[in-house]
Order: sequence, then C-alpha cells, then structure tokens
Amino acid sequence: MSAVNAGEVPLRSPAAADGLSTGAHRSWRRLWRLKWGLVAAAIMLLIVGVSVAAPWLVPYSPVEVDIRHRLAPPAWMEGGTPDHVLGTDAIGRDLLSRMMYGGRVSLVIAVAAVLVSASIGVLLGLAAGYFGPKVDWTIMTLVNVMLTFPFVLLALAVIAVLGPSLTNMIIVLGVADWPLYARVIRAETMALRERDFMTAARALGMSHARIIFRQILPNLVSVIVVIATLQVARVIILESFLSFLGLGVQPPTPAWGNMLGDGRVYMLNSWWIAAFPGAAIFITTLTINLMGNALRDWLDPHMKL
Amino acid sequence: MRHSLAIGMLVILALALGLVPPADAQSREETLIYSLQSDIDNWDPPNSVLREAIILGYHVFDHLAVRDLKTRRVIPNLATSWKNIDDTTWEVKLRQGVKFHDGNPFTARDVKATFDRVLDPTKKMTARGNHAKIKSVEIVDDHTVRFKTDGPYPLFVERMTAQVMQSDKVIREKGHEFMQENPIGTGPYKLVKWSRKQEHVLVRNDDYWGAKPAFKHVRVRIIPEKATEIAELLSGGVDIIKAVPPDQMDVINKSGQARTATSPILRTAMLQLDQAARSGPNPFTDKRVRQAANLAVDNDAIIKFVLNGLGDRVATGVNPMAFGWDPNLKPYKQDLARAKKLLAEAGFPNGVDIVFHEGPPVVEPGTQQTNDAIVADLTKAGFRVKRNYIGDNTVFVARVKDGKAGSMFNWSWGYYSVFDADAILYDVFKCGENYSYYCNPALDDLISQGRSTLDQKKRTEVYVKAQQLLFDEAAYLYKWGLRGVWGISNRINYEAPPDEVDRMFLVTPRKK
Amino acid sequence: MKRYALRQLVQLAVVIVGISMLAFGILHVIGDPVTLLLPQNAGKEEYARYNKLLGLDQPIYVQYWKFASRAVQGDFGKSWYADTPAFSLVLQRMPPTLYLTTAGLAMALLIALPLGILAALKRHTFVDTLCTMTAVAGQAMPIFWLGIMLIIIFAVQLRLLPASGYGTWQHFLMPAFTLGAFLAPITMRLVRSGVIEIMNMDYIKTARAKGVGEGVVVVKHAFRNACIPVITVLGLQFGQLLGGAVVTETVFAWPGVATLTVDAIRNQDFPVVQCAVVLLALIIVAVNFLVDMIVGLIDPRIRVGG
Repeated sequence: MSAVNAGEVPLRSPAAADGLSTGAHRSWRRLWRLKWGLVAAAIMLLIVGVSVAAPWLVPYSPVEVDIRHRLAPPAWMEGGTPDHVLGTDAIGRDLLSRMMYGGRVSLVIAVAAVLVSASIGVLLGLAAGYFGPKVDWTIMTLVNVMLTFPFVLLALAVIAVLGPSLTNMIIVLGVADWPLYARVIRAETMALRERDFMTAARALGMSHARIIFRQILPNLVSVIVVIATLQVARVIILESFLSFLGLGVQPPTPAWGNMLGDGRVYMLNSWWIAAFPGAAIFITTLTINLMGNALRDWLDPHMKL
Repeated sequence: MRHSLAIGMLVILALALGLVPPADAQSREETLIYSLQSDIDNWDPPNSVLREAIILGYHVFDHLAVRDLKTRRVIPNLATSWKNIDDTTWEVKLRQGVKFHDGNPFTARDVKATFDRVLDPTKKMTARGNHAKIKSVEIVDDHTVRFKTDGPYPLFVERMTAQVMQSDKVIREKGHEFMQENPIGTGPYKLVKWSRKQEHVLVRNDDYWGAKPAFKHVRVRIIPEKATEIAELLSGGVDIIKAVPPDQMDVINKSGQARTATSPILRTAMLQLDQAARSGPNPFTDKRVRQAANLAVDNDAIIKFVLNGLGDRVATGVNPMAFGWDPNLKPYKQDLARAKKLLAEAGFPNGVDIVFHEGPPVVEPGTQQTNDAIVADLTKAGFRVKRNYIGDNTVFVARVKDGKAGSMFNWSWGYYSVFDADAILYDVFKCGENYSYYCNPALDDLISQGRSTLDQKKRTEVYVKAQQLLFDEAAYLYKWGLRGVWGISNRINYEAPPDEVDRMFLVTPRKK
Repeated sequence: MKRYALRQLVQLAVVIVGISMLAFGILHVIGDPVTLLLPQNAGKEEYARYNKLLGLDQPIYVQYWKFASRAVQGDFGKSWYADTPAFSLVLQRMPPTLYLTTAGLAMALLIALPLGILAALKRHTFVDTLCTMTAVAGQAMPIFWLGIMLIIIFAVQLRLLPASGYGTWQHFLMPAFTLGAFLAPITMRLVRSGVIEIMNMDYIKTARAKGVGEGVVVVKHAFRNACIPVITVLGLQFGQLLGGAVVTETVFAWPGVATLTVDAIRNQDFPVVQCAVVLLALIIVAVNFLVDMIVGLIDPRIRVGG
C-alpha cells in the first residue's frame, strides 16, 4: 500500500496486533509462520512457469494422435518408453504434453473467471455497502436470488444458449461466483463507512467515487486477494465438473478437467490417464489454498475466511 | 448448543426417512440384476426407437416369431406357423392357451388390434415404418389371422420378430396413456415397478406358456456412469452389463468375479453426413466432399488399434450379418492425397469447416476414442472439425430424428434386430425417413424394388446394386460392423446375443 | 426481532418472485420454444399453430402471469418428454436429493468441526497446517474422481459397501462423504476463525483464569459461538451443494432431482426445468430463512446491522 498524498493515505484496518515484542523477532516469527505459504508459492510459481512455457517445453503436440502407441504406461513402468515420460492416453496422445498445455488452459480459465467474478462482486459489494439501504437492498436481493439459483443449472442453461467454448466457460464460471465477493465486500464497506476517517473524507467534500476507490477499496485489497486466491482453486474444480457433464472444454483441446473426465473409465487399468491430471488438480488446489491461508495470516489474521 | 442440537435432530430425522428398506427384500440368490446406461422413454415398445425398449420389451411381451440365437433363423413363438396364400397374403396360426398378465386369453383379436394401432397414421407410432407394407389384418378365427400386404412383402417373417403383441382389451379400454407406463403382455416376466431412471423390477410370470425362467426376480438398474457400472459388476452388485468398452475387457476378465463375452452384432456404425441438407446447407451436399471424408480416415487401423480388433470393416451401411450383404464390395482405403485433391476440386483447397455432433457411447462403446482418432484423420485431410458433445442419448436421438443433428454426427443402426438389408436401407438411407440424412431417388427405387418381391435371388441382386451406389456416392462415412462386448458375472451362464437383445429368461445360475 | 423477521420475509418474497422470473425466463433465453419443439422441416402453419397452442402469441407479461398463477397451484404443465405432470415427476425425485444433501452437510460438519477446532487451538503450528490440508484435500479431489475412487476401494476391493444405488443406509455412506468432502474446507475455515475469535474474548479468558478446564472452555463456549458463521454459510452452501449433487448422483446412480433437472435442461423439457428450479429454490430460500432466524436469535448484532 503506497502513500499517495497527505489527505489520502489509506488507513489500514487494525490488524496484526498479536501482541508480540520486538520488531526483528516479530518479523522472523511471522516469516516462520508463513513457511508453508512460501513453499506453496514456490510450487505454484513452478506450475505457472511450466504452463506459460508449455509451447517451448512440450515434447509433442498435445493433439497429435498416434493410435499405434496408445495407452503406453509412464516411462518408469514396465512397457513404458522414454519417448512418453508420463505415458500416452487412449488414442496415443502424449500425456506430459497434454498436462502442460492442459495446465495452461485450466489456469487461464480459472484466473479469467475469477477476474470476472471479482470485478462484478467487488463493484456491487462496494455499492451495496456504501450507498445506503435502497441500493443495498436491491443488490442483496440479487445476491440472494443468485445464491438460491443452483450454479450447475445456471451453467447448463447458459451453455445451452451459447454452446460450449472456452470463452463461454469463463463467462459462466465468472457470473456464477460473484455473490461471495459481494457479500464480504459489502460487510467490510459498511464497517469502514462508519469510521472516523470516512466522516473526515466526506467533510472534506470528496466525491463518492474518490471515497470508494481511494479510501475504501485500498483497505479491502487484502480481503479481495485472499478470496480470489481461494476461488481460483474452486474454479479449477468446477471446470472439471463441467467436463464430467460434457459441457467443459471440448476435445481435442486439453484441460486438466476434461483429461480427468476422459480417464475415469480407465482408473482400474490405465490409471495414469486420470492420475496425472487428477494429481495436478489436487496439488494446484492444495497449493493455492495454503497460499491463500498464508496471505490471510500475513495481511490480516482476523479475516473471517 | 440448542441450535446445533436442533440441526442434528433434523439430520437424523432426514436420514431416518431415507432408511426405508427396499420395497420387497427378495433374496439376491433368486434375483438377476441387469444394468443399462440409459433408461427407456416408455413401456410401449412400438412407440420407441431405443434399443433398451426392444430389450425390455422381450421380457414382458412376446412376439409372433423370434430368432433362434444358434441358427439365427426365425422360429415360431406366439405364432405356431405361417404360410403364403398368395403373393400378398400371409396366413398365421396362433398359439392356443396363452394368457396376458391380466388373465385375458391371447387371440387373433389382439394381433389385429396391435397392428391396427401401429399402422394408424394418426397415432404416429415409431414402429409404423417397419410395418408400412401391411395393408390390413383380418381375423379368420380365434387363432388364425391373415395379413394383406401392399404388393409382395419379403420381410414379413423377419418383421414378426420386431413387433410385440399387445392386448386388444388394454388398447381399447385403458388407452395410449396407460400403455406408456403399464405394460401388459404375455411375456415371461411381469413389470412390478418402474422408477424412472432408477430401476425396473420384474417378477417371473408363473403362468407363462413357454419355458420357465430360472430366476424369479429380475432387476434392471439404470447406471449412467460406465465406470460405476463396471465397478458394480466387479463387486457383484450387477450380473450382466452390455456395451463394455474394449479397453476395459481385461479388467473384467482378470477380476475372477466376472468375464466378458463378445459376438458380432447386427449393428453398423457410421458418421452420417447431411447430404440431404436437412439441417441446412453444408459442404457434404457435394459428393466429392463425402468421398474425401471416406478417404481421409484409416478405419482399418482404428479397428485394429483403438477397438482392439472388435469391429468388422464395411463398405457401406449394410452389415455382413444382414441378408443382401455384398462380400465383393471393397471398403474405402485411406488415401490422404486423393482426399485433399477431391476437397480442392469441390472448391475447398484450403480446407473446409464442418460441425460434428457426438452422442454418448451408450450402444457403441469406445465412441469417444474412435471419434478422437477419426477427427485426427479428418484434420490431416483438411477438414476443420468443430465438435459438439451431446451427453444424453435420448436428446441426441431426438435431435437426429428432428433433422437437427448438423452436417455430421455419429450414428449406429441396430436394424431393429431384423437381419435384412432393407432394415437399414429403408430407415437410414431413404429420402424423408426420420433417421435418414440421405436422399437419392435412384436409391429409393432400388429400396422399393428390394421389398416388393419374394424372390430372394432377385432381392440379392437389387441390394448388390444398392450397395454399389451407396459406395460410389459415399452417402455417409462408413465405419464398421460392431462386435458387442458383454460383462457377465461368474455366478451365471449367459451367451452374447448376436441380435443385441439381452434375454434374462435364458440366464441360468452356474453350478458351484 | 419482529421487525427483523418482517424485513427478512419481504426479501424472501422478492427472492421467490425473482426466482420464478428466472425460471420463466429460461424458456425464452434458451431459444424459441416452438422451434425447439417442432421438427426442422415443419411449415409456417404448423409453427403458428404451436405458437398459439403454447400461448406464445400473447404478450410476455400475460404469459408470465399465467405461468405464475398456475405454478402457485403446483401446475407447471405436462413434461414435454415423459407424458406426466412435471410437478409429480419432480416431487418423486426430490426426497433422494434432499437426503443426499442433508447427509452431505452432516458429513461436512463431521469432518470440519473437529479439524477446525483443532486447527484453531493449535494455531500457527504444524497441526494447524495439517488440519487445513486435510480439509482442503477433500475438495481438491473432483467429486467424480473421489466418488469413483471410493467405489473402487470400498465396493470393488474391500466389498464393504454397495457400489451404487439407493435404498439402505449403506448406500448413503459414500455419496454423503463425497459431497461432504466438497463442502468441508470452507466450513473448516469458518470454524477455525470463529473459534480463534472467541478464544481471544474476555469471557473465555476469564473462564480460563477461573480455572475452568480447557476442554470445558472449548466445548461450552467456543464451539457454541463458532456455530453462528458455520450455520449461516451452510445455509448458503445448500444451493451450491446441488451442483455437487448432480455429479454425485450420476456417479452413484442416485435417483435424485439434480440429475432430473440436468436431463430436463438437456432434453429442453421446460415444464420440468421450471418446476424443479422453483421448488429447489423454495427449499433453499426456506432453509436460509430459518438460518437467518436462528442466527438472529443467537446474535442480536445482526438484527440491528442487517
């Protein structure tokens, strides 16, 4: 949080008051607490790095079919070949290449969907919290309608209209998840609104937009970041749901979700087809959650998440 | 604490409500459990096109004639004999002493009522096309009927295996709506309960006129997820599953709990191409594009490597097991250079965009894998394929029927288990039929010639011509004749049926 | 409290109207129902006849009013696909899903409560991380994968449980666990932060100072108060849980309303879709109302603030 100018230094909500002694000792303790988060961040960096660099790293094209060498086990198993380190899938596509590209697709979907839902949710949440009862009531009613309207039905209905595609998945997942942000941001905004510095800001004659975006929003960044992190993990899981129902990323484009879905019948014999994307989803989700927790503890240990 | 207590109570209450024991706790020993991936739409077989409806229909209803699975010939059932009186009249003698499940005797009136209902154009019954050649049914006496046909009707005997006998009284008194959920037949089992998309509970009909089935109870469970279905077989929860993916056979065979059985079945798989432009203009209206598609795909390799050899390459839609099949016609071989050349000639030198609608692998296991491989081959020849998966079989079939299936879709045809070329040519290749996306008056002419003479030699000649035409025209993208794979529990004896109709009344327990 | 209840009720009514509009809107959003119903080659006359038959030639608000007034009486029309009234079709499939989601919620609590409390008490230690990881692990395995794994382990390998189906209590265990695991992490996180907050409060410190045993403190005071956010969120999650239920029902061949609805959407069987959406929404709304009331009773701050 950078200082802007005198009148506008955003105030941090009172946090981090854990009652510890000296500065040096304290920061060491704090860092030590975050060790899991740091490990997680390192792993995540690796996953993201591999996904971004996928086109330069992959040994094969992820959609190259080779039915003569299908269902090859991973290299270290009997019958495996070093040509396909993680083996091949049911029609002989290289699993390692598909894993790398799949991560790219899954992460892009997840991050884009979270950006969509966070933007909608934060804006509506700010409005609901700031502008008083009428706006609040309207937005919260909308939130309640959304929360009572089961997500999968919404997703199905939307995809039925638009047809399954990458963009549509991002829209569907983004639109489905905004109410969570709206609820949390609204509550936080309401709490902030009553505080002294807000009254001061209003007395100074600041515009609403300026108050909201310069005074309130910076105070909420940590909350938003934490929710968004956790939601990325959730969206990766939801993407696999949609794939299970045949509404996810369409073949032959790989995504972890549809790779896992394709492999589910093979779990009793050619287990690797499902196991690797499954492990990727598992590790990524777990990692993101640990990162989220660490972020929460670091930014604001009192956050109710 | 109060609140969590209250919620806890609610949970317990809800659970308690769910713990109702199964309605009739029949012993597992006496029960045969069969599973299907997708449920029927109704219990009125002539009103359904689904394979599942044909299978279930065999248990509760009887047909005038049935197929002997060993010889594959048609043998008497509710009919005891049949003969031609002249070119357009068949006389059928009926079995005496047969009773419907409601206690009423089966007579000539029921046969007439059944056919009258199916043939009535206002009823829009699905099976109408199968019997359209029958003009009228006349009652001679209580156990004799005469069928008047519109010209000679060579398929009459075969088609008797594809029509269940329903009750005159039920048709008149209870009506169409009742019949959708309450089957009253003369068959070896009676329906006790149908929980839609969950299960069918059948009980042995102890007054059955024929051989008594070994198992008293049959449960037909609907298990949409294939992985679950296989797990049920392996854990002893289900006794027979069908459409096992070829890649999963080893899992079942190694389990010690169950085994697989395969048989060539009367079902041809293809990708239908919208030559008739039923769902709008598309590149496949051009013969050269259709030929290019056929030349692009290496189906022999796909059969060998993806289906583990479980398929028989065909030159057209006509199955090697069907009457009229031409063994001399050689199928398309992959030739990418020619495919590209044809596409260029058709005006697509830079490739062509097509939409591919895919249905779920309910009757054709391994569809997903073979589709992936086919699309990869098509891509090499310059087809840019946009795929659209439709996860529910009934929806998929309805779309095809309504002419909304797009330029290319995967389809397989089981001939209504009638072993004759006409049973696919008429339904899937003739102009204007529900499941046909091909329209060619020259072919229609051959089809009608083929079904208008009793001279089997002449019919064969006609069908050879028809197959040559279909091959040259590349009406659809021809794939293969399927081989069915069944998973069978080791506690029972059962053999894979070539007509793809599972018969639980033929299953016997295995001696330990 | 009365005013609070009244306010909640008004909002409830608005939400129900909103849901009914959404449900009604689906039909018009997805496409032209007449085109969906008719075969491709149908003529203009047939189109007009169907249009009239379905009442689609009338203004939209008249159509909505008709839909709403019939819906109130439980009349959503006949399924376009199954020849039976949509209402009875949906009603028949409702109980299995309700049992499943309730059992799933119970299972989530069973996993999340002990883990959450333990994590809070051992905050910032290895145990804390381990608890979080355990809870998250359940969610990190996509439902269908976890479900199939459970089937392979408990039905195929160990032969302890039936692989799928519906009927006895044994049939409940795996689906409930699968669904519960999906919900456990968020519940656990709330329990954890709830307990942490409470443990720092004065009265707990007092209780401790008075020499009340740690176990008693945790169970009597901390746990009770940590329940508030958990109840609220569980109420909200009920709707989201239906999403997980679709997959769980498919994997375990569970005859519930979630799969019915998905099938109906795919079949474009609008009467069933509308009926299911409205009834499910009503249940979710009712659950949330109850939750709000309970929380309002426990926590007076909300009544004033909300």
